Amino acid sequence: MTLDWSVVWQYRAALAEGTATTFLLTIATMAIALPCGIVVAGLRLYGAAPLRALATGYVELFRNLPLILVVYWAFYVLPILTGLGLSALATGLAALSLNVTAYNAETFRAGINSIRRGQVEAALALGMTRTQALRRIVLPQALRRVLPVLASTWVSLFKDTSLVSVIAVTELAYVSMQVRAQTFRVLEMLTAMAVIYWLLGYPQAKLVDWIQRRYAVSE
Amino acid sequence: MHLDYSVITANWRFLADGVGITVLLALASGAASLIAGFVLALLRLRGPRWLRPAIVFYIDSMRSIPVLVVLVWTFFALPIVAGVTMSPFTAGLIGLTVHLAAYAAEIVRAGIESVRPGQTRAALALGMSHPQILRRVVLPQALVRMLPAFGSLLSVTIKDTAIASVIAVPELMRRAETVAGQSFQPIEVYTFAMLVYFVLLYPVTRGVDRFYRRVAHLGRS
Repeated sequence: MTLDWSVVWQYRAALAEGTATTFLLTIATMAIALPCGIVVAGLRLYGAAPLRALATGYVELFRNLPLILVVYWAFYVLPILTGLGLSALATGLAALSLNVTAYNAETFRAGINSIRRGQVEAALALGMTRTQALRRIVLPQALRRVLPVLASTWVSLFKDTSLVSVIAVTELAYVSMQVRAQTFRVLEMLTAMAVIYWLLGYPQAKLVDWIQRRYAVSE
Repeated sequence: MHLDYSVITANWRFLADGVGITVLLALASGAASLIAGFVLALLRLRGPRWLRPAIVFYIDSMRSIPVLVVLVWTFFALPIVAGVTMSPFTAGLIGLTVHLAAYAAEIVRAGIESVRPGQTRAALALGMSHPQILRRVVLPQALVRMLPAFGSLLSVTIKDTAIASVIAVPELMRRAETVAGQSFQPIEVYTFAMLVYFVLLYPVTRGVDRFYRRVAHLGRS
């Protein structure tokens, strides 16, 4: 077995670009899934009955499907449903957003529900309207509580972006496997891919631990 | 848009066998990572001091590497390093277990640590040995408290088996790809696969919640 690690350095530009796409996908998905998650959670908690059922159905469906299947499904079905020729990147972004929005919605719902009812009742007794009570009493506390969960969703999302490689989005996993196929340096490229993910993911996982300790709920 | 679901009935057996492999892989890797998780957590909490940093490092590494990367590395790179050949199923089983055991270990540790130390001290004062305390005081409560987390781990395991399709494990996802490619009817096939996964996963999530609500009182102290 002769190993030639220079292949990793040789393809550094492609790997750097793949890494950039991985981060771009993570950031863009979160940017979409945070507001959408709040909207879906709001619909579930305060919407009219049919909207509530729709929001619940959406959350339950996407929480119970493998993401890789959603990616394939989006790749074949979205162009037909929307009539648009979406790029692989846009399709991957859509699939990831659909998935993470469902998780975020559940996180926000749990956060809002975790604030004891007595607080809203007290706010109403003080003469606040329901909207005021939600905005000024419930949400500030709920958002602080969901932060650790959102942080760990972030790390999961960062890792899950690797799944859009199956529809040829040129992120880190896809680029590494392409180079592997071109150069036949299997062990070197796959190890490099794992190490790069580790280098990027490890600090994020540690940061999540810190956020979880910092924002731990104690009542 | 014209949909023709006869492609599902025509490939019925092929897809049903895929479901069988999905379930088998999920149960096998679920059970293996559960056992490994217990061993790791107990070694981390009670094992020799020098072993602890290694276990923490392993757990944190698995939390930072995508499962796809672990699976691909196990299937393509591990045989080069170890000089063995593995079937995709074996590689999938090893890869998933290595990845999920880290999560299982965290669940077990959190469960054990959730039992207040005062109880251990009280048991020591009553003259129990450490293994006795673990078996008769800590674990009976901790196990109940771990249940919801293990339920979601099982559903994660089932979902992650779909990722094993990239290393050609002939489970449902892989077979759906094959049928979709041969029949040129990806919409029908993938929509059907979605339905099957949902039917597999929804009862797991809901069933565990239900069961936990019935036994939750056993974990209180």
